[in-house]
Amino acid sequence: MNLPRSKGCSLTPAGEKSLSYGRPIVRPARMVDDEAPLKSASAAHQNLRQLVRLIQCPYCSKPFTAPAHLPCGHTICRDCLPSPRPRANISYPNTPDRLLGIVCPQCGAEHAAAECCLDVTLAKSMELIRLQVAEFRASSIEDTPIRLVEILEPDDNSAAGEKDRVHHVGHDRVLYGGRLLATYTLAEMGELRCSSEVEYSSVLDAPDHYPHEYENLDISLLGSIQEAVQDEMSCRVCYNMMLEPTTTACGHTFCRRCLIRVMDHSNICPLCRRDLHMPASLQNKPSNRHLASLLDLLCPDLVTQRLAAIKLEDQPGDDALNTPLFICTLALPSMPTFLHVFEPRYRLMMRRCMGGNRKFGMIMYNRTGAPQGDLGATQFMEYGTLLEIVNLELLRDGRSFVETRGVGRFKVQDHGVLDGYIVASINSVEDISTAEEQDSEQEERTEAQRLAATFESQNPGTPLPFRVALDQLSTQQLLDFCMGFVVEMRRQSAPWLSQKIVQVYGEPPAADAALFPYWFACVLPIAEEEKYRLLQITTVRERLKIVKTWIERIQNQRQ
Amino acid sequence: MALSKRIIKETQRLAEDAVPGISAVPHDDNLRYFDVTIDGPSQSPYEGGVFKAELFLPDDYPMTPPKIRFLTRIYHPNIDRLGRICLDVLKSNWSPALQIRTILLSIQALLGAPNPDDPLANDVAQAWKQDEQAAIATAREWTEKHAKP
Repeated sequence: MNLPRSKGCSLTPAGEKSLSYGRPIVRPARMVDDEAPLKSASAAHQNLRQLVRLIQCPYCSKPFTAPAHLPCGHTICRDCLPSPRPRANISYPNTPDRLLGIVCPQCGAEHAAAECCLDVTLAKSMELIRLQVAEFRASSIEDTPIRLVEILEPDDNSAAGEKDRVHHVGHDRVLYGGRLLATYTLAEMGELRCSSEVEYSSVLDAPDHYPHEYENLDISLLGSIQEAVQDEMSCRVCYNMMLEPTTTACGHTFCRRCLIRVMDHSNICPLCRRDLHMPASLQNKPSNRHLASLLDLLCPDLVTQRLAAIKLEDQPGDDALNTPLFICTLALPSMPTFLHVFEPRYRLMMRRCMGGNRKFGMIMYNRTGAPQGDLGATQFMEYGTLLEIVNLELLRDGRSFVETRGVGRFKVQDHGVLDGYIVASINSVEDISTAEEQDSEQEERTEAQRLAATFESQNPGTPLPFRVALDQLSTQQLLDFCMGFVVEMRRQSAPWLSQKIVQVYGEPPAADAALFPYWFACVLPIAEEEKYRLLQITTVRERLKIVKTWIERIQNQRQ
Repeated sequence: MALSKRIIKETQRLAEDAVPGISAVPHDDNLRYFDVTIDGPSQSPYEGGVFKAELFLPDDYPMTPPKIRFLTRIYHPNIDRLGRICLDVLKSNWSPALQIRTILLSIQALLGAPNPDDPLANDVAQAWKQDEQAAIATAREWTEKHAKP
């Protein structure tokens, strides 16, 4: 490019007519003061300045060479970083690159040298942009002069100047190839500070094709840049445009959610296999703001599309199959269940639950492979308990301890798989109404009393058949019997009723016949398959009868 | 269930930008299930053979590796009689940054460089260690017999 250039900087306030040392200026007016047709381009040009700003190192203001991403979120040319210096009072972990610190020239934060890596995605993108610009510059940019005036960021202490609309003018140049190229060139020449704005105006002897052809130049260069970097800026895990780009200490960037999922499975970088050394939750790990802004600017449509797609993804699969199932153990309504979540698929499920209604279904393995109603021989039982997460304690390595409480019972209607775990449509299982409960008690006891009377008259002195004796008891008597057993066992300090256990499950709900069997099943050390029967029963009386049979079995064993 | 963008893109790229000596075509009724062919690498006992395999992308792909199995019989210390393959990147060394294409290339490379010290088919591995020339001859025979149309 051989064009006349202004030397040094002109300090004339913008808006005033002035001549550069190069070419005479015809319209020195600022963009915002310009006539209507130019206003439409105004928004785009704001973005062009912002785009070039994102290509500039905030420290040296030149287009990035080998940008490094720092943990504080700033991105700076690696060469602009001060040389590492020993960090005071640090001994762990004591790898050499962690004992040396680098101070961010932007914010003064000190980081371990190990964490100030080349931002691979940004570095490659910058290189691609540089190539596109070079190619574009080599093509026809003749006869498209444009005057650029750098407007320096007002100093904090020049508030008066701001009021008078006096701008501090920096460099002043006539450059070619449209605003984008010209601005990039200005930055490349080191004459555009990262914080500065640019005012554009046309040049006196330029052919009269302003502004559309200039605009087309920008559109064309912007288009080729967008195309060139798109591939580089897509996530290597999901192949989508990066969403909330998050950069590892090794300088590789992935979507935040992809990286979290990767860390469900292992804690090494998918690209270079270096140990990631960070908490799996990424809770305190900021996204790569620089890349995020660049993405927003270069491909806003793809970013919007991606956000919409994510929303869909977060709705777990099929609308009908909306309950995630944790296939593991028996859980009971109203009772606490404690889980140690370590399998990758369940880590993901817990995360989704926490982001949603915090509920999931707990269901037992079908150990015998017995057919489960209409479902056939599924790997899980057909009845389960809906659990609500009370507390989730995430461990550093991504495992978690989860405290839940049973909120209801359900029967699986249909099921499918989502990202490795089972999702189901469920029907809730509820007890019959109190009226029906009373009716059935009355009917059962009346019938049992009738049978007992007949039996006694026919077989005097013989004990009643088991079933008849059981059915004769009132629901209250059943509860009293069971509670009596608990009281007796506690008196004998049975280990399964130790203080520790009672602390976890609470005192027995002596007044609540509906809940008592669940409590009892929680503390009683018998097979889960046996306890599972409680989930299918919809009358309080039947549940108590089951409990009574367990107790009698225990008592018989003890005798 | 909807296919992820990733699977769609990978499938497209496999078709549009095919790797010589490797093909993977998804089934029409199950786009996670691929018919695979791998040409035996040159200068190996599998040269000239076309080996068929099946590849399945599990539900949580790419978080977990694809499942892949040879359908054509092959005499190789790291591939057993059921076609199962012993390859680190298909197991513990899987990374979600790998893809169908790279995995198939790794398998092709495994054909070119059998590793009898980490065997899956013990008998083959033993034969390989005892008399490599004879084992290679057997591999060539099997290729002739099973992997040629």
